[in-house]
Amino acid sequence: MKLSEVKAGAHGLVSSLGHDERFLNRIISIGLTEGAKFQVVRNDRKMPVLVYVRETLLALNRKDCDKIEITEVGA
Amino acid sequence: MNCVALLGQPNSGKSTVFNQLTGSRQHVGNWPGKTVEKKDGTYTYNNVKYTLVDLPGSYGLSGNSDEEIITEKFIKGGEADLVCVLVDASQLERSMYMLADFASMDVPAILILNMMDVATGQGKTINDKLLSERLGIPVIPFTAADGKGFDGLRSLIEKELKAPHKLITKPETGSKEEAGNLKYAWIDEILEDVTEASGKDYSLSKFDKMLLKPFWGKVVTICIILVGFLAAMLIMSPFMGVAGMLPGLLGTPIASLLNGIHVHPWLVSVFSLLIPNTLYFCISMASFVFGVNIVFGFLEEIGFLARAAYQFDGALSKLGLQGKAVAPILMGMGCTIGGASGTRVMDNWGQKMLTMMVVWAVPCASIWSVIPVVSGMFFPIWGTALVCVGIVAYIFVLMFIVSKVFGNKLVPEESRAGMIMELPPYHKAHWKYIIKEAWIKCYDMFKRAIKTVTLVSLVFWAFSYSSSGNVESSLLYKVGTFIEPVTKFFGMGWRTFMAFLSAAFAKEAVLGTLNAVFAGQSNVADVAFNASTGGVDTMALSQIMTQTISGAEALAFMFAITFSVPCLMALSTTLKESHSLKWTLKTAGFYMGAALILSCIVYHIAAPFIG
Repeated sequence: MKLSEVKAGAHGLVSSLGHDERFLNRIISIGLTEGAKFQVVRNDRKMPVLVYVRETLLALNRKDCDKIEITEVGA
Repeated sequence: MNCVALLGQPNSGKSTVFNQLTGSRQHVGNWPGKTVEKKDGTYTYNNVKYTLVDLPGSYGLSGNSDEEIITEKFIKGGEADLVCVLVDASQLERSMYMLADFASMDVPAILILNMMDVATGQGKTINDKLLSERLGIPVIPFTAADGKGFDGLRSLIEKELKAPHKLITKPETGSKEEAGNLKYAWIDEILEDVTEASGKDYSLSKFDKMLLKPFWGKVVTICIILVGFLAAMLIMSPFMGVAGMLPGLLGTPIASLLNGIHVHPWLVSVFSLLIPNTLYFCISMASFVFGVNIVFGFLEEIGFLARAAYQFDGALSKLGLQGKAVAPILMGMGCTIGGASGTRVMDNWGQKMLTMMVVWAVPCASIWSVIPVVSGMFFPIWGTALVCVGIVAYIFVLMFIVSKVFGNKLVPEESRAGMIMELPPYHKAHWKYIIKEAWIKCYDMFKRAIKTVTLVSLVFWAFSYSSSGNVESSLLYKVGTFIEPVTKFFGMGWRTFMAFLSAAFAKEAVLGTLNAVFAGQSNVADVAFNASTGGVDTMALSQIMTQTISGAEALAFMFAITFSVPCLMALSTTLKESHSLKWTLKTAGFYMGAALILSCIVYHIAAPFIG
């Protein structure tokens, strides 16, 4: 499942971040790594997705969220 | 040689520490061969001079942007005797990533836990002694924005330069994919028992729930910005008021004094008109910059602008920019100078330059004091409303054109990154710091303004000086009428064209110039400079203007002045911020040309209808 499809309030684990090196460096440095546990705070159409990870609220571009594979887990 | 470098992620408060330590003893330039800004400064402590280098902002040191490559090279090159790594104490785990990246380099360091006030406010405790023990380097809890504790930092730096410490631990190395996780594993290990993770779910505050809604959030954001501009007006109005009285107060006494000792009327005019008015211009521009910077400094610090960036990221990405550009663009609605210097928040030079070019397309507050006056002379109220709507609509067209023409060159498609940004927790504002920062910016602008504006005023004054007191004997008239056949094609006669040129100098000068070239009875220079201070008799001017030029020309003229070069100081600020004469001239050339073409189109479309 893609990160962009997760409903607000749901929790999940990152399973894959893709292979674009520039993107990988950037996203890892801000706290999102493979295996990281996160909570989706808001997910509105045409807006960046708001994700809470490592005690930080992040706004992530929608297109990038299409590239991030996740598995949903119960809270 | 006591060289200290500052390293930290954006939002770690790095520039606050840098500014507080160095004050105004800063030097801004470019890193050799790169369009990355180099900021360094000095300070003296116990009679010893220290050089402080602000390493370009990045999230890590993986070396995939010019900024990161420069930072990595600088540290590895051993140029810094000590590296101060800054982390955000309120988001310790994530923010320690920079330290994890830095750990592979064998350089003396200290760790600054910044924003301790926010962390404490969140109920977090950090055992800095244990942290320091594990890392092997000194750790200092800190709140940069409140201005306290800097003596402690200075003394720590002094001590560490004499007896430096290096990190005694570093993350394991692995493949690219694993490296990130290994770094966070190292961070988790280091932070165990140092601080407790809350592990709680995140829930948005009531205010955020409203502010982050897709539609209503944008409405609320815009309302807050509008209130912000009102506040900015309140802040600057006393300065403007006092400055506005200067020409009147100084003019007559200086004139009578100089006349009394029989100085040439030329010089009398320079000292009694030109100089007091230049002073007034500069002060009023500086107070614009001051007001806008205080309001936006406040909105930035409390965390509001990050939310605004989230709201407008979608719209701005269409221009090749990202959400962060929202702040400078909004600042530009108040003052283009403020907007141009606000582009410092952008991630790299290309983004910064493109944002500045887009900011130029936003009409500033000054122009809105001219348009209704001129429009009101020619059109009924509903016509003026239409003119305003037309101008607002064209802002978006022009922004789009700018992004099409320059976007790919400045921000190449493959380097365009979508928004990846943290929304910081709301902070309390540190007013002292905000005011100090706004003051530094405003004073810096003022110093530049005094030089440039005086020089250009002098040229303009010489052009418009007429010995007989009649406009026909001024140089302005001769040049203007000579090139009129060309300017006519663009929809402007020599009078409006001269006012168009003065608009690129300062929007405040437009009415004065119009008065000078249309009324033309008394000395042009006297009228032009006197009128700039609000002494224009609009009734009389209106009568002459409507008799002399057509509605179509007036319309073309209004569009041309609105979308031309915003003002001399916006140009100067763009040069200062971009460090590129080439791109500053490109921007100015583009806007001049585009304004003339626009004027030409508007004139030829409007002429058959409104004559």
